[in-house]
Amino acid sequence: MKSLFFTGKGGVGKSTLSSAFGYQLSQKGYKVLIVSLDPAHNLGDIFNTRLKNREIKFAENLFLAEVDLSKASKKYLKENTKVFEEVYGYLKVLNLDRYFNVLKYTPGMEENAALIEIERIFTEGIKYDFIVFDTPPTGITLRIMALPTITVNWLEQLIGIRKQILEKRYTIRHIRDGISTGDEKLVYNELDDTVIKKLYLMHEKYKKLDSMIKGENNTVSVVFNPDFLSLRESERLISSLDELGIPVRLAFNNKYDSCLSEDADKIEKQLFAGRSGIKNQRIGFADHKNSPGYSIPADLTEYYLQEY
Amino acid sequence: MKGIIRKIYRSVIFFISSLDQAHRMKAAEVTEYELRELENLFVLLLMGSFTGIPSPSSLVSAELIPHLGREIQLLNKRAEEAFDAFNEIAGTIGID
Amino acid sequence: MTTLIVILGALIYIGLYLKYGKSLEKNVVKATNQNDAPSKTYYDGVDYVPSKAPVLFGHHFASIAGAAPIIGPVLAMAWGWVPALLWIWFGNALIGAVHDYLSVMASVRYDGKSIQFVASDLITKRSGKLFYWIVFFLLILVIAAFAAVCAGMFVGNPAIPTSYILKICAALILGVLIYRVNMNFTLATVIGIVMLVLALWGGAMMPITASRKTWLAVFFFYIIIASAVPVNVLLQPRDYLNSFLLYAGLILGALGAIFSFKGFTAPAFTTFSPIVMGGNPTPFWPAIPLVIACGSLSGFHSLVGSGTTSKQLAKESDALPIGYGAMLTEGFLSTIVVVSVAGFGFGIMKDAGMTISAAGWGTEYTPAMMKSFPSAAMFTESYAVMVASTWLKFIPTSAVKLLAGMWVSSFAMTTLDTTNRLGRYCFAEIMLPLKGKSESAYKFFTNKWIASLVPALIGVWLAWSGSFTIVWPSFGSANQLIASMALLTGASWVTKKLGAKGTAVMIPAYALWVTVTAAIIWFSAVILPASIQKNPSTGITLLVIEVVMLLMNVIFIIDFIKSGKKEVKS
Repeated sequence: MKSLFFTGKGGVGKSTLSSAFGYQLSQKGYKVLIVSLDPAHNLGDIFNTRLKNREIKFAENLFLAEVDLSKASKKYLKENTKVFEEVYGYLKVLNLDRYFNVLKYTPGMEENAALIEIERIFTEGIKYDFIVFDTPPTGITLRIMALPTITVNWLEQLIGIRKQILEKRYTIRHIRDGISTGDEKLVYNELDDTVIKKLYLMHEKYKKLDSMIKGENNTVSVVFNPDFLSLRESERLISSLDELGIPVRLAFNNKYDSCLSEDADKIEKQLFAGRSGIKNQRIGFADHKNSPGYSIPADLTEYYLQEY
Repeated sequence: MKGIIRKIYRSVIFFISSLDQAHRMKAAEVTEYELRELENLFVLLLMGSFTGIPSPSSLVSAELIPHLGREIQLLNKRAEEAFDAFNEIAGTIGID
Repeated sequence: MTTLIVILGALIYIGLYLKYGKSLEKNVVKATNQNDAPSKTYYDGVDYVPSKAPVLFGHHFASIAGAAPIIGPVLAMAWGWVPALLWIWFGNALIGAVHDYLSVMASVRYDGKSIQFVASDLITKRSGKLFYWIVFFLLILVIAAFAAVCAGMFVGNPAIPTSYILKICAALILGVLIYRVNMNFTLATVIGIVMLVLALWGGAMMPITASRKTWLAVFFFYIIIASAVPVNVLLQPRDYLNSFLLYAGLILGALGAIFSFKGFTAPAFTTFSPIVMGGNPTPFWPAIPLVIACGSLSGFHSLVGSGTTSKQLAKESDALPIGYGAMLTEGFLSTIVVVSVAGFGFGIMKDAGMTISAAGWGTEYTPAMMKSFPSAAMFTESYAVMVASTWLKFIPTSAVKLLAGMWVSSFAMTTLDTTNRLGRYCFAEIMLPLKGKSESAYKFFTNKWIASLVPALIGVWLAWSGSFTIVWPSFGSANQLIASMALLTGASWVTKKLGAKGTAVMIPAYALWVTVTAAIIWFSAVILPASIQKNPSTGITLLVIEVVMLLMNVIFIIDFIKSGKKEVKS
């Protein structure tokens, strides 16, 4: 299973390109899933069908899904609430458990929810050859991409402190050598400490997600237009992804027009300065005489399939 | 006579074992204090909303809470006594 | 005579413990094991843990005993040994030990809260805050006094600095063995003791000679570095090693004093006002508490007693042997110091070529001592000669001298950096009112490095420029002020909460307050102006500190008297 993210400023044509890309892959006989994480939800419109959170089979080898982030974050919070309710189950007796509903209004949960969904899609999606993601606007995308790294780092810090705690407990026990002070039940072995075990488990989970996003099987592409507004945002996007250790490998200069070729050259030059690893493709109004209007090349996927 | 010897023997053993205990406790004392503060910090970091920084995943904290009884108790105690901690730390590390 | 006095001292302490201490427990505090101690009520296996009485005694004693009970009595010998011993015996049992015991018990009945908390509850809110101010000055003055002591010791016996550096190395190694490698504890201890002996030997082999000011500069950097490293790297293993120096010193000293059978060469009584502070005549009353602090009375004990000891006390009846008893034990240590100097000090000063006579002792002792054996060196020298005068003479005198020197300087050096650690915290505490008023100033002063530098800088600088006989009583004044405030708090607790008449506590509390206040006024009005003429900046700094402390002392007593009139519902 390989995956591909289409990122970029709103309106540059991410949905169009990701749909075309996915469709072309499926035409070549690969089993493909296209997932839209974009709240604008153009995917259904493009294929002229109604989509849901769960993937549906659209054609032979082509599956589609639309993740509704606000719904997903509600679901995520519900799970969260469930954990609380499980722990404090006795509150049911007093009907106090309903107060955990407050959690539903916790702000800023969309990224968490999106990540959980991506993880689910990754783990359930082994049956596909390719998963193509259409992403939400730049800000949210960056936060989603950053989350696994941040969480892994945070968990590593916590694990570090926990290890120190356990080591100190061991040292104290060792020095005390049987002098009772009442804290005999304190665990000092990593194997007995539920807390560190859980931390490791979560660490493993996020690490896996992190390496999936950063790994060889995942490709991040950036879609931009040959105008300077889109250039600025794309520059920021590429450098932010670089900082996260997620290199952009493909770029699509969408809505290119040959009469804009001077601008396009300048923009591409600026955008890819010092970045040799990005393969750029121009898409759009290629030649006014032969094929009028906007058209998508017959094969977008050639380079990608060759290299990755 | 035998009783007296046994009594002396017993008190000597008691003295030595007390001495040993006092030494062990002295050697562990500051580490114990450090441990408590580490445990306290651990929960404080875990409960992001306490420190004002939302932690990356509140699910992590939610799952760990049931296993952190002692640490949370410590957090409580520290919150209550933090303003009155000077003497304890002074007594622990000692200045005179 | 030496032997006689040591035994007499022990008997007086035992007698007062049984007579006075027990009646205090029974009639005033009415300690009863029917009340659960906080270690049981609040038992959590964490802070509140009941400890066995002997263990807690050792712990409490180790916390309160240091270098101070040695240095004070050496200076006080200017009055002759009788006045010094009177204050050490009766001042201790009737005031100092009462103060320690009440601090522990008040804290016990206050669920293990600090004496500052008790003060802010019983007197006024600000009374508790006043403590922190004086404690902060105390911390600065402790650095000044102990840096001066250590510098004197390091110059006086060049083997000590080497031994001390080697001991630091030994502590670092021991720290790794115990806290990193988790070696068998007994084995690690044995290795530690062996390294300690090697450090002593190494010091004798390779002495380092440097000037007083060089050492003070070194101390400054030592304080900053040592107070910044993790506690179980240096602080904890070093304190652990120190306890063995303390045992060796105490046992040798007790044996030496008991078996020396030597007459006193120093006079029993010189004059009411011999030369002590800053080369000026110093009256016994009110000045004595500024000179002999620990050994008779120390305010710092109230902090320890109400900080850790009260939380670990298993039952109320343990408080007397621990709070009262440990203080008497410290007084016993001071007794040994007086005995050794009284018995042997005269001889060794003569051997050092000083002109001193029994008749002119009052005026000649302090200058001669400061010249030949500054600060605690007077004690370590006479201690070594005392031990050598008994059947223990098979131990080389230089070795005993070095051991005693290491004992005193190790405890004093330890104090330097732990004090600095506490200073940081205390500084932040007293700067709290700045918050909200001047945010930037608050930020500046509570910065970890600034808060660490300020006490170290002022302290070392005072030691650098000030004369020891002025710096030491300044330290004493802050210490005794805290003691006076803590004893007043204890008295307030006895009368308000226990409903006892409390004359047994009220009289010493007022007597102490009057004495300490008079002493500080006299010190500021007579000694410091003379000092300002010699060294303006140091003198003025000290004067400012003394005046501020005096002001707080007055605020405290006013609040105390006012609050005493109000009835407290219990």
